[in-house]
Amino acid sequence: MDRKQYCVKLSVQPSRGLMDEKFIVLVQNALPGSQLTIRALHQCEDGHSWEAFGHYTADTTGTINVSEDPSIGGTYSGVEQMGLLWSFRPIPGSKSGLRMRKKNIQTPMEVTISVYQGHQTEGFADLVPLSGVAVERWYMAPGVRRIPVTEGGLTAALFLPSGPGPFPGLLDLWGGGGQLVEYRAALLASHGFASMAIDYLTAKITMETGKMVDNQYFETAYRVLQQHPQVCGSKIAMIGLSFGTSITLKMAVYSEVIKLSAAVCISGSHVQPVDGSVEEILRFFQKNGEKTRFSEKNEVIWRDLLLPIPTDPSLKVNVGRLQCPLLLVVGEDDQNWPSQESALDIKEMMARAGNSHLLTVLSYPNAGHLIEPPYTPHARSSTLKTVEIEEKVMCLWGGQTVEHSRAQEDAWKKMVVFLKENLYGGRNPTSFSHL
Amino acid sequence: MISIIFFNLYMPEECLYQKFSVLFVCVCIYMFVCFLTGEVRRKSSFRQSPLLSAAPVRALIDEQISIKGRFLSQNYPVTVCAQMHSEEGDLWEAFAHYTTNASRSINLTSDHSVGGSYLGCEPMGLFWALEPALRSREGLRLRKRNVETPYIVNISLLEGHTSPSEGQSTELAAVTVERWYMAPGVRRIEIRQNKIVGTLFLPPGPGPFPAMLDLWGMGGGLSEYRSALFASRGFASLSVAYMGHKDLPGPPDIMSVANLYFKSAFQLLQDHCQVDADRIGVIGLSFGVCLTLRIATRIGVKPSCLICINGPVGSPLLDEDGKTKTIESDQKHWELDDRGRVSFRHVSLPDNLPAENKQKVKNITCPLMYIVGEDDLCAASTENADVIEEALRSAGKSQLFTRLSYPGAGHLIEPPYAPCARVSLWRAKPEKCELKFSSHCILLRIQYIMVNKFAVGCFWVFLFVCFSSLQYSLCGEVTPHPTLLLKKIPGRGS
Repeated sequence: MDRKQYCVKLSVQPSRGLMDEKFIVLVQNALPGSQLTIRALHQCEDGHSWEAFGHYTADTTGTINVSEDPSIGGTYSGVEQMGLLWSFRPIPGSKSGLRMRKKNIQTPMEVTISVYQGHQTEGFADLVPLSGVAVERWYMAPGVRRIPVTEGGLTAALFLPSGPGPFPGLLDLWGGGGQLVEYRAALLASHGFASMAIDYLTAKITMETGKMVDNQYFETAYRVLQQHPQVCGSKIAMIGLSFGTSITLKMAVYSEVIKLSAAVCISGSHVQPVDGSVEEILRFFQKNGEKTRFSEKNEVIWRDLLLPIPTDPSLKVNVGRLQCPLLLVVGEDDQNWPSQESALDIKEMMARAGNSHLLTVLSYPNAGHLIEPPYTPHARSSTLKTVEIEEKVMCLWGGQTVEHSRAQEDAWKKMVVFLKENLYGGRNPTSFSHL
Repeated sequence: MISIIFFNLYMPEECLYQKFSVLFVCVCIYMFVCFLTGEVRRKSSFRQSPLLSAAPVRALIDEQISIKGRFLSQNYPVTVCAQMHSEEGDLWEAFAHYTTNASRSINLTSDHSVGGSYLGCEPMGLFWALEPALRSREGLRLRKRNVETPYIVNISLLEGHTSPSEGQSTELAAVTVERWYMAPGVRRIEIRQNKIVGTLFLPPGPGPFPAMLDLWGMGGGLSEYRSALFASRGFASLSVAYMGHKDLPGPPDIMSVANLYFKSAFQLLQDHCQVDADRIGVIGLSFGVCLTLRIATRIGVKPSCLICINGPVGSPLLDEDGKTKTIESDQKHWELDDRGRVSFRHVSLPDNLPAENKQKVKNITCPLMYIVGEDDLCAASTENADVIEEALRSAGKSQLFTRLSYPGAGHLIEPPYAPCARVSLWRAKPEKCELKFSSHCILLRIQYIMVNKFAVGCFWVFLFVCFSSLQYSLCGEVTPHPTLLLKKIPGRGS
């Protein structure tokens, strides 16, 4: 091997980070001016391999700092400190419609980052890297405890931060795909919130009895959280994505039991039959099923099912009655839900009712539906099995990768600030225009 | 409540007035009690903790952790306390006193401690100032044996300016951090071949890597943590035991292995397919310095660079073949204090070393860095550094010598942000002892170290420069001056 090739030093700091933590990728001791490729490789839990890479030129000192130097090609370009993670894509030859989601959040995501000679675009498996390091990315900080919750018929998992508490609480809801999705709750617990991830569509009780849960299910979850000795019962928020937004708004406005200190609604809508049960709301969506469109690639577009935004008040959550701060996160290229139109209507309703000081809207051009914790890859479409449809469909979520990834990073940061200031800060409820 | 209602309902008519009065009073009492319990529940649910955070929460031992407390009151005194258990089960702790400012927060990276285990702005003070908790056993030294698991440190925020031993204060918040000697992907390989007793650590990646032979002092045994950390920074590293290990021949208190042993260890690195045979350095602390110099001059191998920390240029205990006599065999230069603690400093004074025992430093052909703790009471480090420097100067090799010298630093200059003991138990001697102190143990007095991150920064930079300079001179291509390389290296400390 050519002597000058094996002196390149690669480091990533921190080598064990939380999922939303930035790292510094540094190449040193390369030949000044040499062309190098930095590549990240990850094998996810279902066995698929993902890669991301950038093309760099070492400077006069033989150094490349990914936080400062531009990539001039690869899966991302420009100065992108975290590009090696958010631009992950399945390796060539993988099946289509994949989406990276971690199920077991008690182990880290393991990523191998390597440096290769030259500007490579393919065939990495056959190349010997100049250097390589292993990096761990964690959803759970040390000391965070995971507690399965089954009381009251719940299918949930509670994540408690380390320390004596009491901690503010969070109810964490995902969307129409169902399942118990834990990673966001685990990450929020790592930021100091006692977070309960809830399965409300494929809960054990539903699978066993065939009956969908209703309001009492969420109120039970709220009570369980509120009564936990390490939870500050008067500081509980709810966060929902997609159909989880529908539930969050419904509970925030209409529940006699659930009194939220803050609500975060991502990529969702307030359109639903008011007074409808969970099942009735789902049927309402299905009724409009003929409005389903298809992209050129035959991907399902469901955003029109709730359009146009109705004027009939019995078909929209009366957000004018909301009494807690609300953060709406909208991807303007959302092809799954009409989140932008809904956000505009919510804004109008709250302005008319005089409580718009509670509202903050974060709206991102070219971001899609799945606005998730940052530095995980963007899926413009993926296969989905919802509770309503038995077979899998290829669902179009929308979004362009770069803008979507920026949206995820920005939205997450602001969401955590919003939650901290409302749940820890103890301020009077107000909008966060400074966000 | 219900029984009272029934009782009242069934009282005779004539007592109607009394009946309703009693009922009214009971209802009032009941409502008051409900209000009170509700009030207590509301109070406890309103009481809310501030937030303590650390970043990163999983760090290598030589990485800085940034600790912040938020959502406190203004001008509020707090204590930040770190606690961890050693592998032996002893509790170690450190604490510092801070007061919040107008932003109702504290940030250990920029704020000043006004009391506790350290004073002033010390971002990593909670780690390097760890001490055994009160009433612990004496003479403890924190050294990690199992480097494949982290130290788990619990950091808590307490109300007021207090100390953990007082045990009275309210814990407001806490965060847990992990501190690792091994980065992900580093491989640990036990070596028991060619009579070598050691542990090899390999960085992740294909290699080949530059390598280090890692030597400790006469305490014996096999310390792996520095090697693990080297591997986490890209150097293959082999720690070898040379005395006091069950897998080594001979009694534990003498070195029964000779020059050939160290040559085999060096060659093991040279022969390893993932090690660059032309870029192997040696690092030695304390007696390991003597061995390092011997390896560089007497046994027929050519290291690329040497790091000597607080050790002698020679030793009367080391004979021609490189084997030792026991340290107790020659005690004429031992110094005892009034508590029966021993200082070995005078043993290694160059003037007390016979000329034939001094290593032939003038024969060294590679860069040598000598790190001096100026308050070292175990070895005469400054004097030995002077001897080495002079020997190289006389041989026209001054350019090979670099000295880092630290006032107030002691003998055990180890990887940073870890506590060092003031005094530690070095050898237990249960049988009769002619000295005046307790017959239970001989204590080696080691001055408390003020960890200096500049030293660490220079340390890594030095190694990096060594290996890089070699690489470029071997290539014969663009040969940047080593200082150019120093400019863009991000501060790992300096």
